[in-house]
Amino acid sequence: MKQQPKRAVIDKNIAPSLRPVEHISFVAPHTYHLKNGALLYFRQGLQNETSKIELHFAAGSVCGDPLSASLCAGLLINGTKQKTAKQIQKALDAVGAYYDVSLSQETTVVTLYALKDQLLKAYQVFHDSLFGATFPQKELIELVHERSQKFKVQQQKVSFLAQRLFQRSLFAGSIYAQQIQLEDFRHADRSAIMAFHQQHYLKGLKKVFLIGDISVLHLDTFQCLLNDYQSEIPKRTAFEWKPEAGSTHIEQEEALQSAVRIGRPLFNKTHPDFCAFSVLNTILGDYFGSRLMSNIREDKGYTYGIGSHIVENSKFGYFVIGTEVGVQTRTATFLEIQKEFERLQNEAISDAELELVKSYLMGQLLKSADGPYAMLDLFANVETIGLDLSFYDHYIAEIKAVDAKKLQELAKQYLNWDQMLIISAG
Amino acid sequence: MIHFERFTLENGLRVLFHKEPSTPLAVVNVLYDVGARDENPKQTGFAHLFEHLMFGGSVHIPDFDAPLQAAGGQSNAFTSNDITNYYNVLPAQNLDTALWLESDRMRSLAFTPKSLEVQRQVVIEEFKQRYLNQPYGDAWLQLRPLAYQKHPYRWATIGKNIKHIADATMDDVRAFFQKHYHPNNAIICIVGNFELAEIQQKVAYFFGDIPAQIKVERKLPQEPIQKRLRQKVIVRKVPADSFYYTFQMGKRLDNDYYLADLLSDHIGNEKTGLLFTELQRKKRLVSEITAYITGSIDNGLFVITGKINPKRSLMELDDALWPLLEKYKGKKMSRPALQQLILKLQTAKAFQDQGLLNRAMNLSFFELLGDAALINKESERFTSIQTTDLQTYAQQLFDKNRCALLQIQAQLP
Repeated sequence: MKQQPKRAVIDKNIAPSLRPVEHISFVAPHTYHLKNGALLYFRQGLQNETSKIELHFAAGSVCGDPLSASLCAGLLINGTKQKTAKQIQKALDAVGAYYDVSLSQETTVVTLYALKDQLLKAYQVFHDSLFGATFPQKELIELVHERSQKFKVQQQKVSFLAQRLFQRSLFAGSIYAQQIQLEDFRHADRSAIMAFHQQHYLKGLKKVFLIGDISVLHLDTFQCLLNDYQSEIPKRTAFEWKPEAGSTHIEQEEALQSAVRIGRPLFNKTHPDFCAFSVLNTILGDYFGSRLMSNIREDKGYTYGIGSHIVENSKFGYFVIGTEVGVQTRTATFLEIQKEFERLQNEAISDAELELVKSYLMGQLLKSADGPYAMLDLFANVETIGLDLSFYDHYIAEIKAVDAKKLQELAKQYLNWDQMLIISAG
Repeated sequence: MIHFERFTLENGLRVLFHKEPSTPLAVVNVLYDVGARDENPKQTGFAHLFEHLMFGGSVHIPDFDAPLQAAGGQSNAFTSNDITNYYNVLPAQNLDTALWLESDRMRSLAFTPKSLEVQRQVVIEEFKQRYLNQPYGDAWLQLRPLAYQKHPYRWATIGKNIKHIADATMDDVRAFFQKHYHPNNAIICIVGNFELAEIQQKVAYFFGDIPAQIKVERKLPQEPIQKRLRQKVIVRKVPADSFYYTFQMGKRLDNDYYLADLLSDHIGNEKTGLLFTELQRKKRLVSEITAYITGSIDNGLFVITGKINPKRSLMELDDALWPLLEKYKGKKMSRPALQQLILKLQTAKAFQDQGLLNRAMNLSFFELLGDAALINKESERFTSIQTTDLQTYAQQLFDKNRCALLQIQAQLP
């Protein structure tokens, strides 16, 4: 094959010049106030055939006993007075629909995916199943059995053990510390599950996200269906919280790696330090070039991956570092993390690193806002904690404004090794 | 329908461009036609180790990620038995940065002994995390050499064992680069709101002067048709017995693939599939069971896998599974059932195609298979299937003599 002549004029040593992300437009969905008190958010203009409907219920694991919450979510689409679990599944298969039930601490999100022409048909089946669920005893027995078998597998994973102990200790003294234990499965109670459904689903619809190029006529029908059930969500009372700090290790013989979780209580997007702390968190551990990755993976080779994150709930948040490291390098890893905290407290971040992270965060926000699905998710993230899309304009301004001095102050305030909860398993 | 433009540089680099006017982002996907199947049996895990080293600096750039991050972008990669795929997503106005980075590391790597040392360690930790320190984690390390005896699919991408990674030298790694990383062995796909002329000009500028090299012809030993059941039992500290039945199937573009894909959905679906209804619910032998296909480019595997219930045995499952598959071979699927399966696949595909990155990866992959336009013919390949085709195929597929069976027995406490 012919080789092209070398072009001496091209200096590929020099990086192409960069243009920053100047502006991102955030588009809110249409809002409909349903008669039952719930909100419907609708987004169209997709230019493709896909659609989904997402129902948010105040039915998370802290809304009652965690076992009932979990089994209720698991059995939602498993039988009504008219249809068996199999018949429901077949009816959904007939229109090519998929669904997903996702339980978190505060909310259960039930999502139905289908092509736009099939969504309403699928939802009619789904709606009856979801709200008319009868929780057949037979299905309950099967689910309890499957769940306890899966639980036994999970219990052999160091990451599972570390994560659970971390959550229990971090949320000590609050309902957020409640967890299902293996022996609980033996006491699964159908009437408790039905009561949970009655209270947290039939009266617990908070909001609905609908996306897809569906017709006005269909939209009306969706609204009528969604109005079937009253939304009567009790105000959550403030909870007592006595988070623990200090270090605990769960010894697992024969483990090759230790799972590690290190963290502390923090805040969510409503806190004035949130945006600046996000920058600090990114520098520390939330992108591939972060200090933790550069040091502990790329320099030392102790781990396949290490990251730090801010996890948010409706009223608060927490900070956590997670990794799995070779058992022999666990202690060394702790020392390195501690060193990275101290570096952030004692040395000003260089302009180059700070600029890089700011550009990176802007690029990632642009990506998070790309396309109707992503945009609706961005909206949902702020709506859940009582904010609106203007948060992101504020976030952009804060990112641009934050300087090394402020980040150093935040590191001193929030990243103290002595205040961390340190859990390891393996 | 995914529209695309295609052109080839003089050095052999194949370029695909998919215009997406609605996005402010650009995707640059670079697929290298090298996977674990191209490794020397004595040096397995190389393609994957190499993927790690590709981020360790190139001729003009000490660190791959930093310039991309400064451009607001993000990059990652994966290695399979068939390919190594690198991808970058960044704001469209900084497209040049991704092209600059990708072209520089295609031109020449400049990794140091230190980066080899570190990445070797990282990969060993990955090996532990994913394969050794998880219940059932090593199943595929055991299963591959049972299901394949000749074809290099007999080892996993992570490698046959840690030792191959531990022993890799700088010379080995350099030789691997020389052989597989050059324009003739790569496909690049760009997605974003650009004009074709602009893309042609930019790609020619960044990649045009990378010297051409002759593509090494792939001569892999093909897997012979299996003549007799292969079975292996291993004992592990796991909470429940588990099983993996694999059946030999065809290549990615064979009709087999489409038939097997539908069959695996039909029998493997939760709640409605035959395996679930008969073995999990009716006979209560298993706590979970499913079916899927590996979908590799060369001959793949149809897999039935699950876990045994307490107080039931692997043998009871085996005794129930074979007659069930026999019975299945005798039954023709109804036309509506087939149409439902196809509708579900089409729905799933519509959701996947939404993602820019998915489109870029799939276009590159189909180009590797022979023609990126195949991406738009997938649906037709499913809709042209008749119910009799499925039955005939099931009869051929579920042949005990062409099955490899791995059983993992829970060690008694």
